[in-house]
Amino acid sequence: MSLKDWWAERKKKRAESKEAKVEAAPASASAKKTVEAPASEASVCALDSEPIGLAAADLGELMPGAPPGGKINMAVYWAAACGGCDVSLLDIADRILTVKDMANIVMWPIAVDGKEKDIQALEDGEITVCLINGAIRNEENEHMARLLRQKSQIVVAYGSCATCGGTPALANLVPGGVNEIIKYVHDEVPSTKDFQETYHKGNYVHPQTSTEVPEGTLTLPKLYDTVYALDQIIDVDYYLPGCPPLQESISHLLKVVVDFAYHGVALPPKGTIVGVTSKTLCEECPREKKFERITEVKEPYEVDTNNNKCLVDMGIICLGSSTMGGCGAACTRVGQPCRGCYGPSPDVQELGSSAFTAIASLFPVTDEESQMSEEDIDNIMKQIKDPLGYFYAFSMSKSLIMRAVDEGGQ
Amino acid sequence: MADFEPKIVSFCCNWCSYAGADGAGVARLQMPTNFRIIRTMCSARIDPEFVLRAFSKGADGVMILGCHPADCHYIGGNYRARRRISLLRIVLEQYGFDPRRLKLEWVSASESTKFQDTVTGFVNTIKELGPTPLVKVELPAEAKEAE
Repeated sequence: MSLKDWWAERKKKRAESKEAKVEAAPASASAKKTVEAPASEASVCALDSEPIGLAAADLGELMPGAPPGGKINMAVYWAAACGGCDVSLLDIADRILTVKDMANIVMWPIAVDGKEKDIQALEDGEITVCLINGAIRNEENEHMARLLRQKSQIVVAYGSCATCGGTPALANLVPGGVNEIIKYVHDEVPSTKDFQETYHKGNYVHPQTSTEVPEGTLTLPKLYDTVYALDQIIDVDYYLPGCPPLQESISHLLKVVVDFAYHGVALPPKGTIVGVTSKTLCEECPREKKFERITEVKEPYEVDTNNNKCLVDMGIICLGSSTMGGCGAACTRVGQPCRGCYGPSPDVQELGSSAFTAIASLFPVTDEESQMSEEDIDNIMKQIKDPLGYFYAFSMSKSLIMRAVDEGGQ
Repeated sequence: MADFEPKIVSFCCNWCSYAGADGAGVARLQMPTNFRIIRTMCSARIDPEFVLRAFSKGADGVMILGCHPADCHYIGGNYRARRRISLLRIVLEQYGFDPRRLKLEWVSASESTKFQDTVTGFVNTIKELGPTPLVKVELPAEAKEAE
């Protein structure tokens, strides 16, 4: 089936299911519906429009039994991650059930039983594909990443944290590193402070990397001061960004694996970012751009985003101009600004600085500009709260400075 | 700290401040030699990424010199630059850098003495601040291999 037919069928199915839903709507909902109707009229924005950006890969009839060379081994591992990436794998819908025809899943902590010792027992390179999601933040993450690298032919950095550091990497902005984080979390957060004072009677207890108990020694992995992206620790073959990656993106990765396992199709060159488009998100975004100036910085809740206007035109800071496309504008089409989870577009080296360069130039120049002092300009730019956290929300590990610095009391 | 010689990267726009620096040289004005000039066509050409890259490679200070407001060769380039640099300074401050490590100054082609004063003043500021606080993040990979 060609890509075009696939889309046509999908669209038809969507329309059908929508009709069915309308028919099935109980009468009791109709009263409520009339109230909501105008809003939903206006929100046709892009949700129901033509599919935009990256189309899902044409997977054809997937997994017709085991591959000719026998089942491949697959592993999925989470490092410093939230688990959303693991759940996103289920987005491939009923195909997830057929993955078992193609592969033995030797490790997937969230779903199957494989343990570290099972991986240790494998030969080097016995795992064909290993998806690692999450940033590298402690000894255990690093150990498992190295072990899986040794046992795998292909390692994929899956999701924003593995590709760029993601949200966990914002911990790099704590100047005191791990000690400061542990002290804050265990001593200063009201709930734990209370616990330390009442339960431990003010004798503050902190997690240790090893503790003696009557039954033996208990150990915890050591936390690192800096959170790393996966490719800063091990060699990574492919990247699949996203927080979490969208189904369209995942289907492209799946296609690579299926083509390789079933048909012996050559793999893409090492370092390929799978499941993205070569354009920025801004190019894909269906919102209408008028290239207006930002006179006032707004949060999405402060303006009515239920229309077809560009979010930046409305004063919302959106990172779409620097972010790689491929997500089909999942956030911007529902009125949330892009935060950059797909990472920098190919022409951009550092997402954060690129994005704030673009945004800063959007503040208008008035006739009084030549009389304005640098302080006046600073006051304009201070409208943007926490620029470092905002523009580097997903890419701190891949930023140039990478972590907070300390001027030493200056 | 007395023998600390800072490394300063100085971006100058082609039309005003580079000519100003040239004039300072021709007039043999005395000034510290801690700076390295990178000429750009306009101060708006200076992507904040350049500055971050300079800091990430160990620069102790970065100086950006452009045409005076209303004097830009390209009409509004310096207006863009001052907005970006202002935002960049907030970002650097959030990283923990002293904001004085990044200087934006307007130097015209005829102001060679202002160039001299700016450089001297900035070098003194940086000498006072000391070396860059940037710590080269050591990747555990390197640490492991060194063992």
